[in-house]
Amino acid sequence: MCDSNKNIYLPYLATVEEVIDETPDVRTLRLVFQDEQVRDNFSFRAGQFAEYSAFGAGESTFCIASSPTRKGYIECCFRAVGRVTESLRQLEVGDTMGIRGPYGNSFPIEQFYGKNLIFITGGIALPPLRTLIWNCLDMRDKFGDITIVYGARTEADLVYKRELKEWEERSDVQLVKTVDPGGNSPEWDGKVGFVPTVLDELAPSSDNCIALLCGPPVMIKFTLPVLEKLGFSDEAIYTTLENRMKCGLGKCGRCNVGNVYVCKDGPVFTAKQVKAMPLEY
Amino acid sequence: MQKQITEANLRLLIDSLLLKGQRVVGPRQSGAMVLYEPLSSASDLVFNEQPRRSAKEAFFPICEDLLEYRKNGQQIDLEDIEPSRFPETVLIGVRPCDAAAMPVLDSVFSWDYKDQFYLERRSRTIIIGLACTSADDACFCTAVGLSPGDSKGSDLMFSHLVNGGFLVESHTDKGALFLESWKDRFTEPDGSKTLPLAQPEATPFDLKKIKGWLDDHFEDPAWDSIATRCVGCGACAFVCPACHCFDIIDEGTEKSGKRRKFWDACGFSKFTNHASGHNPRDLQPKRYRNRIMHKFKYYDDKFGQNLCTGCGRCIRVCPVGIDIAGILEEIEKK
Repeated sequence: MCDSNKNIYLPYLATVEEVIDETPDVRTLRLVFQDEQVRDNFSFRAGQFAEYSAFGAGESTFCIASSPTRKGYIECCFRAVGRVTESLRQLEVGDTMGIRGPYGNSFPIEQFYGKNLIFITGGIALPPLRTLIWNCLDMRDKFGDITIVYGARTEADLVYKRELKEWEERSDVQLVKTVDPGGNSPEWDGKVGFVPTVLDELAPSSDNCIALLCGPPVMIKFTLPVLEKLGFSDEAIYTTLENRMKCGLGKCGRCNVGNVYVCKDGPVFTAKQVKAMPLEY
Repeated sequence: MQKQITEANLRLLIDSLLLKGQRVVGPRQSGAMVLYEPLSSASDLVFNEQPRRSAKEAFFPICEDLLEYRKNGQQIDLEDIEPSRFPETVLIGVRPCDAAAMPVLDSVFSWDYKDQFYLERRSRTIIIGLACTSADDACFCTAVGLSPGDSKGSDLMFSHLVNGGFLVESHTDKGALFLESWKDRFTEPDGSKTLPLAQPEATPFDLKKIKGWLDDHFEDPAWDSIATRCVGCGACAFVCPACHCFDIIDEGTEKSGKRRKFWDACGFSKFTNHASGHNPRDLQPKRYRNRIMHKFKYYDDKFGQNLCTGCGRCIRVCPVGIDIAGILEEIEKK
């Protein structure tokens, strides 16, 4: 990907193959590279991100939300909150958009072989873990127990609802879904409570277990002490940082947390690494 | 290799270059200020004033096109800019504080992913430095390990001779090749003395000590007192030879337009603003801290160099009188 004579800011062109509304303001785009060679050769690892462009509006940074095991397309998932994301949301099936990437480091999935995994996530922070969840489920026999704790403010804010159902129905995954108090309808069959509380009640064993944590800062803040109480070491907890980026290439000077460049050194970090950083994320 | 050139021959040389269609950039009057801009004749050159902005824009322009797009039904046609087509350039009259920033910037634009927009211009440009014979109160190159006669970053170095003309010293193969190609314009040195170099009133900083303090003082009450005055105008970054933050913006309509790279500044309030509204550097002192940290710690951690050449421009243009040299002095005393 570092072809030295190329314009590193030139995106690949991709066609929107499918549009899925996850919530009223969160959308998934399934994207297929237009160039056959790119389609065949584009490879990435779970945790990496890309720059997605709506021409005329600009570029936005999101993780690649689909799994590297699913070939032929990639997916992104975003909330329409600004100029670029609003323009990406306007795209219809068949429209063309741009993708630069993949960039950044990734989850060291090989180091998770043979271990139990617990995914802990909230709201729109499921997509950065969903890539890894499917990556692991597609190589299911390499891992021990897989548990997913996923929460959102309300039922309507849960993303990937169809996949939550699929995970619930699978016998080789345990899904614990929850919504904040007041966020549930009478028909809600999940838990009611904040993610850290639900995790505390669930009390998963930290024995031979890796915790993969991704969520809003307040969720991370209150979940880390619970994990610590459960006996998870800081090296056994992985998270992703989501600082604002432009180039994604370690040049534009925007995403640094102290001397750590999230775009190059991250976005995947262990809790140990994050704790060593200044509070600038 | 040392040579000598008269002022008349330098003018002839530049005019011959221009006549050949060669792009020549140097300090010239541009509106109310002197800037490094393309010359149309040798008489445009202004050698007695430090240009308002640094020479980095010869390699990293304030704004440049990265690509063009055109909508064609549901398709998009992209046109690459192809940096390999950038013109060969002679960049002349470059202040040592500006030239010295270029090898420093090479690191960030060439590590890992290669930014050909910058690198192609670098490889196609010869830098002809000019030693400074005067300094003002803001100059502090000598405090950050450079000097008014420093050849760092220059392919050729010009020094004013007492009797007019310049002593010319070659520091790279590119410089030697230039002297060889234009050998008729240069003569052997006749032993004439060069004008005394400027003497900025700045004593060398202990940059290791300063970095040592920065290493352990991300959180410190000093940042508030250092930076509460900062209004976040970004002028310091825009005149700086070493600041290189940029933004990428689409200009045009949904139908057609350009994607462009623009200078940006870590002092701007929205620079790090997340889509959620959360901003890790929500207050000006945090933004100014990043400026100092990036220059004297982060870049050093990553590339072993400082992002400051002591040109003094940020001190001259700051509307609220923030003096980076004074701040470094303060930190050094801690």
